[in-house]
Amino acid sequence: MAGAAGGVGPTGVTEVHIAASTLAIPMVRTLAADLAARADFDLDTIADLRVAVDDACARLVRLAAANATLSCCFDVRLERIEVTAEVEVEDMMDPLPRGSFGWWVLRCLADEVSAVVLPGESGQGGRVCIILIKYALPAGLW
Amino acid sequence: MHHLDQIRAARGTVVTDAVSATGTEHGEYSHLVALQHRYARLAAEDPQRQRVRAELISGYLPVAEHLARRFAGRGEPLEDLIQVATIGLINAVDRFEPDRGGSFFSFAIPTITGELRRYFRDHGWSTRVPRGLKDLHMSIRSSQTQLYQQLGRAPRPSEIADQLGIPISEVIEGLQAGNAYRSSSLDEMLGEQGTATVGDLVGDFDDELAVIEDREALRPLLAQLPPRERTIIVLRFFRQLTQSQIAEQVGISQMHVSRLLSQTLTFLQERMNCAD
Repeated sequence: MAGAAGGVGPTGVTEVHIAASTLAIPMVRTLAADLAARADFDLDTIADLRVAVDDACARLVRLAAANATLSCCFDVRLERIEVTAEVEVEDMMDPLPRGSFGWWVLRCLADEVSAVVLPGESGQGGRVCIILIKYALPAGLW
Repeated sequence: MHHLDQIRAARGTVVTDAVSATGTEHGEYSHLVALQHRYARLAAEDPQRQRVRAELISGYLPVAEHLARRFAGRGEPLEDLIQVATIGLINAVDRFEPDRGGSFFSFAIPTITGELRRYFRDHGWSTRVPRGLKDLHMSIRSSQTQLYQQLGRAPRPSEIADQLGIPISEVIEGLQAGNAYRSSSLDEMLGEQGTATVGDLVGDFDDELAVIEDREALRPLLAQLPPRERTIIVLRFFRQLTQSQIAEQVGISQMHVSRLLSQTLTFLQERMNCAD
């Protein structure tokens, strides 16, 4: 068990691959919150990450092609967690148009947000990906 | 090469592609059995331990989903059940001791279904929340509020554990349970009504909406929200308050703020998409 009180928690990479449906979302957000809690992030950071992962995954699942897989990668480092979520799509579409409410929400919840659209090789469909980076306590609050 | 491929290539992570599964098809989990033994043997401070743990949890996720489905159709949303089952799975991975004999499934299935049953018992027709969980939840909540006042920021789990004199693992469990008991029976039980005058907290926020390009679609949806939900959205996204600050202003717990934020964002996302 992680018993070290006072800061440094475990780091590492976790990946989840799961059928892209709304039912995948509670698993993914629960895992995200668990990893951030074990890395000893503060509760506001954990809560924002949880809401952000929920929102980003819901957005991707909505765009997903039939039988698509939702792939999420959590890269937990010292005081920083990076979440990459991606899904196969039929119609290429920016999941987070700049200036949209959805984009604004994720910008508020995470420290860095980007969306990537990757065309498939056959020219039909492709993948869309949302990357969120969340830092532990902002500097100056320690 | 896309992002995940790069990460995989860079780290050589074993990918467990378990999209569909049933509780009886143990064959496709055989690679996890060896991993379970490795996990048990790794010292607590071994840097590999966290990666192996993560691999086990993600590998066994289909089992949690399968068990959650068995409890579906009893009046609780499947989404909530899957969340509860995931918590059960995480606990099972952490507590299983392969050297004591028995397979992981013979340990995990009762652990996960136990978590699901507890959820129904506490949550179904009777709104009784078990003493232990309620106490833990209340201690964490009051410690959280107290530390927030002292530190001027939300505390870390380790800081709550120190203050309460309990292990971090217990704090994490209490936090997860607080999030799973979503439909506010716990909050209602604890007499959490919030302050009645939330409407006064926000006032006019037209200027703040100017940053949003699709604000014309958003505005009528915000108007449809109950006052408390609208207040929380405005405070978090247009006044940039933290969830702890919002909790303080609205007079509910931070966990409750978090649940309301997620629910409201889901509603807004669905409706905004319809408007396209």
